[in-house]
Amino acid sequence: MSGHEVLTLSSVSKAYGGRASLIEKLFGRQPKSLQAVREVSFTIRKGEVMGLVGESGCGKSTIARIAAGLMAPTGGEIGRAEKTRQQMIFQDPFSSLNPRWRVHDIVAEPIRTHRLRPKNAVSARVGELLTQVGLSEADGAKFPQAFSGGQRQRISIARALAGEPDFLILDEPTSALDVSVQAQILDLLRDLQARLHLTSLFITHNLPVVRLMADRIGVVYLGELVELAPTDAIFRRPRHPYTRLLIDAAPDLDAKDRSLHPIPGELPDPSDPPSGCVFRTRCPFATEKCAAERPLLRQIGAGEVRCHYDLDLTGRELAA
Amino acid sequence: MRSLIEALRGRPGPICAAVLILLFIAYAFVVPLFSADPFSMAGMSILDAFSPPVWMDGGTAAMPLGADDQGRNLLTAMAYGLRTSIMVGGISVVIGLVLGGALGLLSGFVGGRIDAAIMRLADVQLAYPALLLAMVIDGIATAALGRGRSNEMSIAIVTVSIGIAFWVQYARTIRSSVMIEREQEYVAAARVTGRTNTAILIRHILPNVMAPVLVIATINLGIAIITEATLSFLGIGIPATYPSLGSLIRNGNAFLQSGEWWISVWPCLLLVVLVIAVNVLGDHLRDHFNPKIRGRS
Amino acid sequence: MTAPLLEVRDLSVVLSRTERDLPVLDKVSFDIAPGEVLGIVGESGAGKSMTGVAIVDLLVPPLRRSGGTITLAGDRLDRLTPRQMRRVRGKRVGFIFQDPMTSLNPVLTIGRQLTDTMRRHLPVSRSEARERAISWLTRTGLPNPARVFAAAPHELSGGQRQRVVIALALCAEPDLVIADEPTTALDVSVQAHMLQLLRDLHEETGTAMMLITHDLGVIAKMADRVAVLYAGRLIETAKTQALVTEPLHPYTAGLMQATPAPDETGVMRVRAIPGSMPGIGAAPSGCAFHPRCGRAQDICRQTPPPLADAGGRAAACYFPLHREAQP
Repeated sequence: MSGHEVLTLSSVSKAYGGRASLIEKLFGRQPKSLQAVREVSFTIRKGEVMGLVGESGCGKSTIARIAAGLMAPTGGEIGRAEKTRQQMIFQDPFSSLNPRWRVHDIVAEPIRTHRLRPKNAVSARVGELLTQVGLSEADGAKFPQAFSGGQRQRISIARALAGEPDFLILDEPTSALDVSVQAQILDLLRDLQARLHLTSLFITHNLPVVRLMADRIGVVYLGELVELAPTDAIFRRPRHPYTRLLIDAAPDLDAKDRSLHPIPGELPDPSDPPSGCVFRTRCPFATEKCAAERPLLRQIGAGEVRCHYDLDLTGRELAA
Repeated sequence: MRSLIEALRGRPGPICAAVLILLFIAYAFVVPLFSADPFSMAGMSILDAFSPPVWMDGGTAAMPLGADDQGRNLLTAMAYGLRTSIMVGGISVVIGLVLGGALGLLSGFVGGRIDAAIMRLADVQLAYPALLLAMVIDGIATAALGRGRSNEMSIAIVTVSIGIAFWVQYARTIRSSVMIEREQEYVAAARVTGRTNTAILIRHILPNVMAPVLVIATINLGIAIITEATLSFLGIGIPATYPSLGSLIRNGNAFLQSGEWWISVWPCLLLVVLVIAVNVLGDHLRDHFNPKIRGRS
Repeated sequence: MTAPLLEVRDLSVVLSRTERDLPVLDKVSFDIAPGEVLGIVGESGAGKSMTGVAIVDLLVPPLRRSGGTITLAGDRLDRLTPRQMRRVRGKRVGFIFQDPMTSLNPVLTIGRQLTDTMRRHLPVSRSEARERAISWLTRTGLPNPARVFAAAPHELSGGQRQRVVIALALCAEPDLVIADEPTTALDVSVQAHMLQLLRDLHEETGTAMMLITHDLGVIAKMADRVAVLYAGRLIETAKTQALVTEPLHPYTAGLMQATPAPDETGVMRVRAIPGSMPGIGAAPSGCAFHPRCGRAQDICRQTPPPLADAGGRAAACYFPLHREAQP
């Protein structure tokens, strides 16, 4: 096992605010802080695709940014393999490419920065990468504005591959795309994954997408990792009530069974999270213990669950 | 350059303004090549003093716009004056742009205390009118260098004063653009790739924040030319012994009451037309490069 | 069969250019029966939002309606003056927009926005409007309606705001509600709540609904019938159940296969449609889908297929799928 870990997060936390402003100092008030990520731990091993799912504001993008080194955690530790080259693919195909740069220069940037190819071989490599992602070499002369959202995401992928990454972070790479374009990008990513054996962290709010892409999935709720298990296990036997409710909430294509499964309640204010288990205010199984004690992330079956109980959630009607 | 031509296509007003500006520049820089400096002994002929424009009684074809009290041909004198005004205006805009641009980039990108310090300085400066500030700088320079200084020194001081007086606008514009751009995902992508802060600032952010300040610079060119003229008119800018639009107007001002109106009216007219042309062009460019207004006009 | 509430015939919208007008919607025709939920499906740029906006005449230049008729309960909406149209919007046709942030006026309280709408369209007194507003807020499942009534939009969460938007669209008791991507900006858990609410209120008030979305899952759960748009043309209409189980048009089938879903054995499947939808004014000759279609023949490249009605459903395709399955 050792030597195969590309990235290890141990008890990583991120809090915003908390430093008292002048007015707060004057009036002796406690500054308001927001715990965006709370004691999240996981390991990504070489060659695997780890998925992170959760709803907006749950902290999954913050975890991605911490993993990418774009943001420093306020607690916990990050372990990286020696000399890891990282690349990242972003959600917004419009803001992730510099509008003043030609596509060729955008894709060449990681190659030039890390001197991955001799100067005279850069152009050929860029052409190769553009072809690999389904664009043409001639597209290199254009500016990003000349491309559609899907094509821009292909350029982003080419740029990431140009850096020959040991570790790739994908932050909602298909969320801004239409269904048919999303399918093309997912196809491309799966094809690249199969050929290049990339190690990656795939972040999305879309359960079917993460189920398609990831080997293991972590479920994030209100800044906490509530469940982490192999993809198959998560969907066959979800162990955290939130995981199960999240799976049921997305409407599927079945027009015969038209029942809807909303998750009861509303998301609590992240700056004032519930005591004990963060999900207890919406959980159908919550007990007094859940309010009193914060559950630990513990090993059950093939995965880890942050829940006091070992619930059998298969085949039960949970939703309100 | 191509985008500039693109921006003007099919817009008669701004095209006229651009053509007018080019003609003025040609006039200011070509005429002095073929005529003696009217402020040197060779350029003056006291016999022609107060010669009126050609269509009035006593006017001569050699001096179509007339001559001033020293017998300087106004047509040539104005070319020399315009040349000074355009150069002082242009260079001061560049000074303001470079100074304000650098401070704005730093302020927006680094943030924190540096940002706070620069922006407070900007606030303080904005509390003084630009004209007053230029006067103060000019005064300080006079105190430091003494009264008897050369024309070149005076011009340099005026140029720098006007430049410094206008940095705030550039700094603020660039700062707010930088603050927007630095949150864009392409910046994060460059960071993940391992680019240094300097590389990100210069290679990625700078090209994306230049368009709006270049437009401001065009508009400020008009203001800078007027400021120079005003300072010279007030007698604290370019001395009356050196040609600029301001000093010509000042010179002629004394004779307005006595009927020799042409000495100050021609330079005034030139100044007004030039500044209007610069503003029309600048306004159009601002609208053209502002995506929010674009397509509506 | 009852007379349709809304009858749209050959609705066309163009993007006006100095050189020539580019077609955005090309002769789109459909009906909505009283109390029916019609889903309008398509990808960005297909013209689905444009359809809703064109019905209530909210097109912004350079877009304009270039032809077709729109009849709402016997009245020709396309012939109304702007003044008459303003009385139709809100009163007879309610509108729910995608973005709950921008569809509420940020400086007016929720209560003011509701009572204003009601007093403009319904013969109610001030106190009556207030009562009704509170009752609407209660019906949308908002906790503490009296507090929400007095609140400004920014004091509410995204989900709460979207509930208010729904109340606002329904409070003048319109015959038809046009919901344009009402849940797209929302998270899965909030989305399910909102769909539930739309369904409850729809059942309660009996209003007809035009549900515009790109999400086939939402369509499957909510719509009675579906109309599929591609490159500004209506290419298939069918009852929801028939459409999701046996799509006739290859594009509809492709759209469903492009949605990642597990097969019977639990293995995830996704199949992309090659190519991309043509942009405005760039539609190829014949069937707009032919360059991406595996079944395309010469005729598809030459003449656009008509929307052929076959037993309550229709597909604009010369070689539809599941033809065999049809009686």
